[in-house]
Amino acid sequence: MQQRTIITIGFVVLFYGAVPAAFGSTDYVISSIVAALTIAGTAVAWALLGNLGGMVSFGHAAFFGVGAYVSALLTMNAGWPVFAAIIAGGAGASIASVAIMPALRLRGPYFALAVLAYAGIFRILATEMEGITRGAAGLLSIPRLPTILGFDLGTNIGSYYVILTIVLAAMAAYAWIRRSEIGFALLAMHETEDATRILGVPSTRLKAMMLVLSAFITGIVGAFNAHHISFLDPDYAFSGVWTVLPIVAAIFGGFRTVSGPFIGALAIYLLDQFVFKSLLPTGHQIILGAALGTMILLSPDGLVPLLGRGLGKKRHAAT
Amino acid sequence: MFELGLQAIYSGVLTGGYYALVALGLALVFGTMRVINLAHGELVLLAAYVAYSAEVHLAISPIAAIPLSLVVVSLVAVLVYVLLSHITRDRELNSLILTYGLGIVLTNLMLLIWSADIRSTTATWFQEGAVLGDTLYSSRSEVIFFLVSLVLVAGLWFWLTRSWHGRAVRAVSSNRDAAMLMGVNPRTTEVLSFLVAGLLATFAGIALYTGKTIDPPLGHALTIKAFIITVLAGMGSIPGVLLGAMLIGITEALTISFVSTSLQDLAGMVLFLAVLLLRPQGLFGFGTRRG
Amino acid sequence: MIAAMRGFAVLATCLVLALGQAKAEDFVLGSHLPLTGSLAQVGNGMHEGIQVAVDLFNRENQGHQVKLNTIDDESSPAKAVAAVERLASERVVALSGGYGSNIIGPASEAAAKAKLVYITSGGVGPELSQRGLEYFFRINNTEGYSKAVTGLIDDMGVKKVSIVYNNKEATTDLARTVEKTLSDAGIKVSSLAFDGGHADFKPLINKVKLQDHPDLILMSGYENDYIGILRAGNVLKPDIKAIVGVWSLATSEMNNKFNDLVQYVYGTSMLPYPAEFATPEAKLFAETYEKLYGKAPDYLGQFGYVQTRLLLQAVLRAENDGTLGKGGLADELRKTDEETLIGRVKFDKNGDNPEFAQRMGQHQGNKVVLVWPAKAATGKMVFPATPWSK
Repeated sequence: MQQRTIITIGFVVLFYGAVPAAFGSTDYVISSIVAALTIAGTAVAWALLGNLGGMVSFGHAAFFGVGAYVSALLTMNAGWPVFAAIIAGGAGASIASVAIMPALRLRGPYFALAVLAYAGIFRILATEMEGITRGAAGLLSIPRLPTILGFDLGTNIGSYYVILTIVLAAMAAYAWIRRSEIGFALLAMHETEDATRILGVPSTRLKAMMLVLSAFITGIVGAFNAHHISFLDPDYAFSGVWTVLPIVAAIFGGFRTVSGPFIGALAIYLLDQFVFKSLLPTGHQIILGAALGTMILLSPDGLVPLLGRGLGKKRHAAT
Repeated sequence: MFELGLQAIYSGVLTGGYYALVALGLALVFGTMRVINLAHGELVLLAAYVAYSAEVHLAISPIAAIPLSLVVVSLVAVLVYVLLSHITRDRELNSLILTYGLGIVLTNLMLLIWSADIRSTTATWFQEGAVLGDTLYSSRSEVIFFLVSLVLVAGLWFWLTRSWHGRAVRAVSSNRDAAMLMGVNPRTTEVLSFLVAGLLATFAGIALYTGKTIDPPLGHALTIKAFIITVLAGMGSIPGVLLGAMLIGITEALTISFVSTSLQDLAGMVLFLAVLLLRPQGLFGFGTRRG
Repeated sequence: MIAAMRGFAVLATCLVLALGQAKAEDFVLGSHLPLTGSLAQVGNGMHEGIQVAVDLFNRENQGHQVKLNTIDDESSPAKAVAAVERLASERVVALSGGYGSNIIGPASEAAAKAKLVYITSGGVGPELSQRGLEYFFRINNTEGYSKAVTGLIDDMGVKKVSIVYNNKEATTDLARTVEKTLSDAGIKVSSLAFDGGHADFKPLINKVKLQDHPDLILMSGYENDYIGILRAGNVLKPDIKAIVGVWSLATSEMNNKFNDLVQYVYGTSMLPYPAEFATPEAKLFAETYEKLYGKAPDYLGQFGYVQTRLLLQAVLRAENDGTLGKGGLADELRKTDEETLIGRVKFDKNGDNPEFAQRMGQHQGNKVVLVWPAKAATGKMVFPATPWSK
C-alpha cells in the first residue's frame, strides 16, 4: 500500500511538473503528448469496460463522437461555457450508450461488433442530420478552452493539464471501483457468471453501469478533443482511429491493470509519431498491427504485467 | 415505379451473390473454429490486388489470374491459422483482437506494395451490359459471379454434409475431443477449413476486381459486411449466408431506389442490429449468442 | 511499392537538402500533406508539385536557397496541427500544403497562431476563407469550379440536369453551388446524394434514368465514384446528351487506364493532354516534373507548383525589402497579380483568389481536349455524345 502511494506521488510530480518543465516550450511535443493522452483517456474507458464489464467493444468511436458533437454544439449554438459543455458531452455519450444496452445480452464477439455497427450508424446520422450538425461540412472554429485565473487553458500546455487531469480522474475512478464491492462482484462474474447470478449479483445491471461509465469518460475525452482541435466533421468525430488506437494501447499496456492503458497509449502513440513514422513514412501503422498481434500471442495481459512479473520476481528474490 | 423496384430487386439479388462470396469464408471459419477472422476482408482484397498485378505485369485476364491469387491467398490464410493456433486462453476474444491486428498489417502491406491509388480491371469485357428481357440490366461480371456464387454455396454445402473431410470439419466444430477419438485430426481439418476459406476469398476478390474499384482501406469494410451477413444467416448455416446476403443486397438497393443513396449502409446496419437483438440465433440458424 | 519508393524519395530529398551547405540566407519552407491515410494519393500528387517549385526556385535564384521540410499529417487534423507547430518551432519561413478542408481548417489556425503565412490549394469550401485569417491564402475555390461547370452546361443549351454527388464536404458544396446557379438560369435541376465508396451505382443511375429523364448528368465525386457511375451508365445506357464530372476525371491517368469508359466525358482540367505547354516557364515545369517523377504533371502537381512558386516569389521580394523578418510576407503575397499555369492569380482581403476559373476538358480518343472557355479551347467539343452512344 505504501509503495503504491509513493509510486502515485512520483507519477503525479512527473506528469504535472517534470513533463511540462521539459517540453513546455516545444509546442509540437506537448501537442503530441496531448494527442497521446486523448488516446489514453479513451483506452482507460475501453479497458474499464473490458476488464470489469467483461465486454470488448469495437465501437468506442461512437461515444467519442457523440461527446464531441454534444459539447461543440452546446457551446456554438446555446452559448454554454466550455467546461459545462464538456461534462454535458460525457452525459450525452452516456445517454447514447443506453441505446446499446440491449446488446449487453449478447456474447463477447457479438457485442463487440454490434457496437461497431452503432458507431457506423452514428456517423451516418451525423452526416444526414445537417440541420443540427451541419453535415459533412463539419464545424469549424469551435470555442477553445477558456482562460481561468489568468491561465489560458486554450494553449497547448493548458490543454495538457486539462486532459491529464481528465485521464488521471478516470484512472482514479477505475481504481476505486475495482477495489469496491462492485468491482469484486464484476471480476468474479466473468470467472463464473452463473455462479454470481445464483448468489444474487445482478450481472446485467452491473455491466450496464460499466457501459454508462465507460461511455461517459470517452464522451468527456471526445468533447475535450473537439475544443482542443477546434474542428469536427462526421468522419473525424466517428473515425475508426478512436477505436483502433485505444484498443492497441490498452492491449499493449495491459487492459487488466489501471495504469496499463495509460502507459500503453503514451508508448504506442509517441513511438509511432517520433520513431516509426521516420522509419517507415508510408504505412507505419503496420507496426501497430504487428505490436497488437505479438502482444496477444506472447503476453495477452500486456506490457505492464510483463514488467511487473519481472520486478515481482526480483522483489521476491530480495526478501 | 414498378420498373424501378424490379430493377432494384434484380440488382440487389446479384449484389447479394457477390456479398455471399465475400461472407462465405468468414462464415465457414466461424462455424468450424468459433473464430471470427477479422482479416477475412483483407484476404478478399489481397486476391483482387494479385489479379491487378497479374493484369498489369503479366498481361493476363483476371479470370486467368485465379490460380495465382489462390496460391497467395491460401498461403496467407494458413499463416493466419498458424498464428491463431498459438492462442492459449480466452480464444474467442483474443482471436478477435489478433485477427484485427493482422487486418491492420495486411491493409498497410497492401498500401506499401500497391499504393493508395484506385485500381480496377481495364478489361472492358466484364462491364458490358447483360440485359434480361429488355428491362433488367446488369454487367457480365455480376452475372458470372452470381452463378459462381451459387455453385460455390452448393459445393460448400455438399462438401460439409456429404464428404468425409467436410463431415470431419463439422465433427471437430461440435466436439473436438469426440472427433479425435473417431480418428479425426482436428488440426488438419482446421487448416482445411482455412484453405477453403482462402479459396472462397479468392473468388470474391476476382468478382470484386472485375466488377468494382479497389483501394487498401476497403478490406475492413468487406469484413464488416461479411460479419453482418453471417449474423443474419445464423451460425453454421451455409444456405443461410446466401439468403442473408441477398436480403442485405435487396434492402440496400431498395433503399437507394426509394429512400436515399446515402442511407444505404444505415439500412444494412439497422437490419443487422434488429436481427441481432430480436432473433439472436439468426434468421436461418440455431445456435445461441446470449451471454 | 511505388508509394514506398516515393516515400523514400521524399525522405532522401529531405536528407540531401538537410546535409547540403546551409548558408545564412537560406530559407526553410514548411509543408504538411497527407502522404498516408485516406487522402494519400492526392497528398503525394500535390507534394510533387511543391518539390518541383522548390527545385526550380533554387536553380533560378543562386543567391537564396530553399529547403523543403514536409511532415506527413496522415490525413488527421490533430497530426496536421502538431506538424504545423513542429515546423513553426523549426522556424520555417512559411507553409505551403494541406489537403482537405477538415485538415486545412485547424492547421491554418495553428499557423495563424504562430504568425506563419499558409498557402494551399487543397480545400475549396467557402467557409475556409471567411474566418478572417490574415495569414491564410489559397489559389482555388468552389466558385471557380462551379463557374466552369455551369459555363459549359450553359454553352450546351441543355434544359434538364441531374446532379449525383458524393456526400463529402467538397463534393456536396460544389453540387449545391452548381444547382443554385443552374436553377437561377432557368435550367431544371434535380440532385441525389450518395455515400462515397464502392457502392453499386446501378440503382442510383436507374432512378435518374427512369424518374428524371435528364439531358445531362453531372457527377460531383472522386475517381472511384466516377468509375462506378460510368460503368453503371454503360450498362443502363440512359438517353442523355452528355455526362460531366469535376476534379480527378479529365486526367491523363483516367485516359490511359480507362480509355473506353471515359470517352466524351467532361471534367475540369487546366491543361490539355498530352499537355501543350505554351510559356517557357510552363515548359521548364513540365520538364523538371518529368525528370523527377517520370510522368507528366497532373492537376494536383500543377496546383502545388503554382501556390509554392507564388509564395517563394513573395518571400524573395519581402527579403529584398527587408520586411521578411517583420511580418511583411503576408502583405507582399497579397500584392500578387500574375498569370500562372492555372490562370490569373490575385488575392482578396480574405486571401481567396477571385480570378480563379477552372477550364473544362473532354476525353476524345487518346486526348483530353480543352473545350471551355472559348479563349482557352484547344478543340471543339463532341456534343451530344456519351461513352455508350459511340
